[in-house]
Amino acid sequence: MVRIGIPRALAFYQYYPVWRTFFEKLGAVVVSSAPTTKQMLADGSKRVIADTCLPGKVFMGHVLSLVGNCDYVFIPVIRSVKPKVYNCAKFLGLADMTRAVIPECPPILEIDFDINKRKEKIYEDIYRMAAKLSVDRARVKEAVTASIKVNNEYRRLMADRGLTPVQAIDVMFGKSVEGKDIRVHSNPVASIALIGHNYLLYDEHVNHRILQRLQGAGCRVSTPEMVPEEILQSVVNKLLGRSYWTSEEDVVGAGGYYLDGRIDGVIGVTAFGCGPDSLMIDTVRRHASNLGNAPFMNLTLEEHTAEAGIITRLEAFIDMIKRRKRRTSCA
Amino acid sequence: MRVSTPHMGNLYIPLKTLFERLDMDYVIPPKNSQRTLSLGTKYSPEGLCIPFKLTLGNMIEAAELGADTMIMAGGYGICRLGNYAQIQEQVLHDLGYKAEVVQLGVSENKFAGLMNVVKHLSGDAPWVKIISGFRFGIKKMNVLDIIEREVQRVRSREKVKGSANRVYEQAVNAIDEAGDYRILNAATKKYLLELNNIPQDKQCQPLVVGIMGEFFVVLEPFSNLDIEKELGKLGVEVRRNTYISEWTNFNLLFGALKRFRHDKNKEIHRAAMPYLKCDIGGDGWESVGEKVLYSGKYDGLIHLAPFTCMPEIVAQNIMSSTKEQIPVLTIFCDEQMGKPGMITRLEAFVDLLKRRRQKEQSDLISLKS
Repeated sequence: MVRIGIPRALAFYQYYPVWRTFFEKLGAVVVSSAPTTKQMLADGSKRVIADTCLPGKVFMGHVLSLVGNCDYVFIPVIRSVKPKVYNCAKFLGLADMTRAVIPECPPILEIDFDINKRKEKIYEDIYRMAAKLSVDRARVKEAVTASIKVNNEYRRLMADRGLTPVQAIDVMFGKSVEGKDIRVHSNPVASIALIGHNYLLYDEHVNHRILQRLQGAGCRVSTPEMVPEEILQSVVNKLLGRSYWTSEEDVVGAGGYYLDGRIDGVIGVTAFGCGPDSLMIDTVRRHASNLGNAPFMNLTLEEHTAEAGIITRLEAFIDMIKRRKRRTSCA
Repeated sequence: MRVSTPHMGNLYIPLKTLFERLDMDYVIPPKNSQRTLSLGTKYSPEGLCIPFKLTLGNMIEAAELGADTMIMAGGYGICRLGNYAQIQEQVLHDLGYKAEVVQLGVSENKFAGLMNVVKHLSGDAPWVKIISGFRFGIKKMNVLDIIEREVQRVRSREKVKGSANRVYEQAVNAIDEAGDYRILNAATKKYLLELNNIPQDKQCQPLVVGIMGEFFVVLEPFSNLDIEKELGKLGVEVRRNTYISEWTNFNLLFGALKRFRHDKNKEIHRAAMPYLKCDIGGDGWESVGEKVLYSGKYDGLIHLAPFTCMPEIVAQNIMSSTKEQIPVLTIFCDEQMGKPGMITRLEAFVDLLKRRRQKEQSDLISLKS
């Protein structure tokens, strides 16, 4: 059976169940790379120029770890998933960039996914990609239908049951029976929202287990996935008029939503060198200071980030929130 | 209403012509200076590129002069640039200026859209006036580019360094001041002749270096520390593909007419195809294509990009792996860049190109003998 490798980076957290279902229905075996390690990040960084963004370096590290373990690597070019809202240049050039910096990479299965094209054209692109695996069109169509169903189930698991993408994937593919709702916390000291790209929030190596650390400090943690997409979109529309970036909801949408006073503090997690982040987080920061409801902190992650620095900032943030709460309860 | 636009090379000259003909109150922001850059840097969000910082600096300085309407390129599906107008307007409001930033859709390729913006801003001027203003503005833009190309050629060959730059400055002023076609044509002729009369070393075969990369840093000399003049001093002939007239033609004005023109960009895209199959926003696709296209034709290439530019980073990652080889010097431009550092890099690069050429020639001779 043909083995298809999927790097555990970038769009993985958003679409892994969809991709896995699709390829399994086509009769392939899906191999995903292991969670990020220090070595992977170091290997990835060596291949690209220094100015490349952190998630890009992580992605290359994952592709490198798949070399030799699979027959194809699946690297979709996700141009646009909403009408006239586009992704950043790194996503658009991802497949070509991988080919350039990792010449030993197995053949790349790629598809230029652009929702602005006609529906038949999108299907045509999918058929063309699947032709490499020599399966007939009827079977591809079936696989697409099954993937769409899985996608809806995945979103529901995250929004309704409060699972993180990692937990939801485990539940869906039978690794664990029951995921724990990360929003449930007996007697939390503070409720904190993390906003940012899901490939930063759920990559434990890259973010130094920020989610677990907050939970360990007794905080109730919310993330963008726990809000239905329509609500995030409406917040974006209210703040900006329309989305500019594909990930606008995860940052500006979730930021605007959580800053509405329903939570004690918001932490923005951004990647060093991320173009869209620099603009989106600025919008959130401005919104936070205009509202004055809840404190907002931005953590920029990069490959040299020392753990101690992150811990100190988290502790200070939580202490500040505790003080704020004490003051308001006294007054 | 006082209208203003950020600087990009000589773009203010055709714009001034257009707005003056429409009797609009047009504020030219002070020339890009250290102050412009400092202001822009101070009020920019972290991690943004030098085009954002400089255009923001221009807007602040224009607002200080009373401008209340800024025209800025924008749109979707390009790079971050499409988002800039919105953020810059917010920054201006935070600073207390009641300025509006009008977006000009670069991505939509709608000539009509641009005309409508101008018609609206000019307080419903008659179409005849708008179109004649446009025509004259475009004429000036084209003439400026013709002169610039000539200057690039003469700079590398002139016997007294700096002569071409002096004539160029006079020419720009004369074109700026020209009030009608007759004066403009006369000025063009005069300065082309003057450039031609500069004593030149006719025998010399200067190194030819192509300049490519992101359009703003290529077209705005302040942001690239006058790299073309510096190369001219080193006796290098500069060629480039991106000129203001071409950039605006392709992006803003004649999108609808594009298919009737010989499209240079198509050739560049075709060259890039084996390495980068699609447009990634900005000029990333073009950078890869130009590297492939000009290897073997030029002695070397200088790739200019703003620091943190997303498309150019992708392009640079891909460029180093192409089969077609040519020396490329990538320079990331930002507010930290210093002139001596850049000149050292240019000198080293030019030395390398000279040695390569000598080696090629000696190889040729040994082959013949």
